[in-house]
Amino acid sequence: MYGWIWRHLPGNAWVKALISLALALLVVYVLFQYVFPWAEPLLPFNDVTVNDQ
Amino acid sequence: MAATTEHGEQQHDEQGDQEEERTDAPVTTAPAVSPAGTPRRRLGRIAMAVSVVGELLITAGLVLGLFVVYSLWWTNVVADREADKQGDKVRDTWAEDRDTGPGALDTRNGIGFLHVPSMTKDEILIRKGTSAKLLNDGVAGYYTDPVKATLPTSGKNGNFSLAAHRDGHGAKFHSIDRIEKGDPIVFETKDDWYVYKVYSILPQTSKYNVKVLAPVPKESGRKKPGRYITLTTCTPVYTSQYRYIVWGELDRVEKVDGDRTLPKELR
Repeated sequence: MYGWIWRHLPGNAWVKALISLALALLVVYVLFQYVFPWAEPLLPFNDVTVNDQ
Repeated sequence: MAATTEHGEQQHDEQGDQEEERTDAPVTTAPAVSPAGTPRRRLGRIAMAVSVVGELLITAGLVLGLFVVYSLWWTNVVADREADKQGDKVRDTWAEDRDTGPGALDTRNGIGFLHVPSMTKDEILIRKGTSAKLLNDGVAGYYTDPVKATLPTSGKNGNFSLAAHRDGHGAKFHSIDRIEKGDPIVFETKDDWYVYKVYSILPQTSKYNVKVLAPVPKESGRKKPGRYITLTTCTPVYTSQYRYIVWGELDRVEKVDGDRTLPKELR
């Protein structure tokens, strides 16, 4: 999978490394900004109130 | 970065496999080391599937690791920033209408600050409601549901019940277990300091135990109406299995003076 991505990136090794880094950062951004905030309420780690439901 | 190391390892494995295969081939044509840059070799379908599954598993591990970083660090960064902003706004509003004297309580932005010196040296903004969205801003919220909190500013007997996060999102009640009986809890409003004394602690209770929020919380040992405060959060740390409860009782109310001199408990 990663090998496939690497082979399909343009440029020499340095350019590929830079693009990979940029892609990795983009993935982290999307996770922190959209995926984790969506997933968090579905997981049982952060309920602090007492309630009757 | 992960992508590159990934690739390197995989490449290595592929070469290893190939060398093994080639030992069966005629000796004369088999190079000791496959030369770099050979055209892509045919991987067995199974080997291919295994490597993709392996990479997906590693990716899943990294994502879970990142989720921990997100929950325990990033949400605090975001929440503290938001709480500071909202707290400053409340203080600005107080400063602006200082001269107009006591007016109707404005519950929109926050009703005041909680100071619990034995738990944290930071002040905690208190807002109305305990929805996840509100608490995620790094504030404490007073209950409106299932049992409505009685605000100390109303002057009536009742229970001022609060909730805040133990971990992540500001983690305002993280060190709630450091509170001991007799410790002060101070609620600061525009005009008054409400000084409470902790008299009872329940280190673990069911999350359905809404009786702890009752106007007279019987489990704390008090049977008569009074002016109580209840702090609730989740326990043990990093989970939401149970609830941790701290009860206090109003000791006295001090007027805020011109310099906002702190009551002696906070000095």
